[in-house]
Amino acid sequence: MSGPIIEVEGLAKEYRRPVRVEGPLGGLRSLLSPRHVTKRAVDGVSFALAEGELVGYLGPNGAGKSTTIKMLTGILRPTAGLVRVAGLVPWRERERHARNIGVVFGQRTQLWWDLPLRDSLELIGRLYGVERARHRATTARFTELLGLGPFLDTPVRQLSLGQRMRGDLAAAMLPEPRILFLDEPTIGLDVVAKERIRDFIATRNRRDGTTIVLTTHDLDDVERLCRRIVLIDDGRVLYDGDVARLKERYAPHRRLVVQLADGAGWHGVRVPGVARDDEADDAPGQVTLRFDPAGTRVADVITAVLARHEVTDLSLVEPGLEGVVHRIYAARGAA
Amino acid sequence: MSAAHPIPRHRAYRLLVTAAFRAEFQYGGNLLLTLAGGVVAQSVGLVFLWTVTTRFGDLGGWPMAEIAFLYGMRLTSHGLLVVPTSQLHSLDLAIRTGEFDRYLVRPAGPLMQLLCRRVHLPTLGDLATGIVVLSLAAHHVGFEPTPTALLYLGLALVGGALVEGACQLAVASLSFRMLSNLALRGLIDDIMNTFGGYPLKAFPDTARLALTYLLPVAFVAYLPAGVLLDRADGLQITPWLAYGAPLAGPLLYAAAYLLWRAQLRHYSSSGT
Repeated sequence: MSGPIIEVEGLAKEYRRPVRVEGPLGGLRSLLSPRHVTKRAVDGVSFALAEGELVGYLGPNGAGKSTTIKMLTGILRPTAGLVRVAGLVPWRERERHARNIGVVFGQRTQLWWDLPLRDSLELIGRLYGVERARHRATTARFTELLGLGPFLDTPVRQLSLGQRMRGDLAAAMLPEPRILFLDEPTIGLDVVAKERIRDFIATRNRRDGTTIVLTTHDLDDVERLCRRIVLIDDGRVLYDGDVARLKERYAPHRRLVVQLADGAGWHGVRVPGVARDDEADDAPGQVTLRFDPAGTRVADVITAVLARHEVTDLSLVEPGLEGVVHRIYAARGAA
Repeated sequence: MSAAHPIPRHRAYRLLVTAAFRAEFQYGGNLLLTLAGGVVAQSVGLVFLWTVTTRFGDLGGWPMAEIAFLYGMRLTSHGLLVVPTSQLHSLDLAIRTGEFDRYLVRPAGPLMQLLCRRVHLPTLGDLATGIVVLSLAAHHVGFEPTPTALLYLGLALVGGALVEGACQLAVASLSFRMLSNLALRGLIDDIMNTFGGYPLKAFPDTARLALTYLLPVAFVAYLPAGVLLDRADGLQITPWLAYGAPLAGPLLYAAAYLLWRAQLRHYSSSGT
């Protein structure tokens, strides 16, 4: 077992921005004696990824997600701290590093805007010095997997967002990078396109062993793809670990939704630790119970409900990541 | 293991340039029209030159044909520069839109990628006009195409391109720290365009000195043209500096590139 493929230690980034001096001759004074404000966008972030991991890097807007990714990809130089990706310091050995990574920014394309998609893929293959036969094989495989065929000869500027995104993913993965950085890869896409992209990402990780760092606001992406997440806010790590453990810690309760038969009344259940959920938005004849599976067995709750009521439907609801993350940010905001 | 391997820089450059030309031609075959536009634009300057010299006979002691030779040299240098580097003007745009991020995650130099983001076809018109004017003027001034003279001319043209390029690159580098310095860049372009093609001797001493040492306009074409036209004695400058003028380009460009590299460290990407 070798060391981690991504090492981040005490990483910090400060932005210094000039402030315009107000008052007479403000413009001139700003130029001659500039004043600056310093903002610490990333403030001591540390984590390590093993090769082959697929990690969700989450945080609200302005938390420092993008800034971290930009330091990992070699776009920005850190103010302090250490970054090592596949043994290289990204900004110092930028071009060597670039050959190890693939990057997809959901909001802007990496493709040649005015050229057909086919040409962009061809150019990427040559620019990254990919051996010809291997390039042809990979292009054919990705074209099939991502369904690029129908628009390979369309100029990129004429592609729909979903098509362009698939093209971008193919381009990023053509040189078969060891690490793939995805920044909001499903933003603005419809359900079908999202699924296709998630499938592709999951397969690259599972089959090719590509290490993947994913930032997203779509927590469905995370639930579908990631086992581990790193949650940051205000430039610091709030949580780093299993998705399942995160839910246990921040949202331990499960919910049982009971649909009573027509006309039947609710008489309650006498099981310790089970209560009616005040937050639930119950329809008529519907009752939502909450309990902690660590202390109360699901079977006991169901038995108790059925013993006293006539029921047409029962469903057990796991806590969603959405609610969990929401709760964490809310708690932090209140603190 | 990644399938990527290093490729030589010149091959990367050729790939990117070819892509830029191909992209430009996707918009239909309007090459001739754009070229014609470039030629017409530059000809306006020629008409002005012609008007001035026919009215005054000569400028700073240089007759019409010699000024045309100087003007042709400067325009050819300018063409040699702007055909491959017109996109330097888009640096602010590339920074603002985040396009510059992309250059930094690819295995090629960011400056090379910026310059190859597009080609601006009308610049070919600048180059073509420059060559035509220079050839005609060379004939009129009785320029003798000895191997030495031709070699010096070639070096001077490339050197002149690099002097202008160095000024533009140095100022563009400042974009990494202070966004939008287009006004400053426009000013430098204007000065180069306005004074670069005339004998600086015709201007007051302060202006001449400023255009030699402050903004090295003199090194673009005036000094080497003076050498080629046997006017080195009247250039009001140490002869070795006049003869060595073609060397100023590579030296200044190297310095400007170092400045670019240093400023690039301050790149802070855009908001998102």
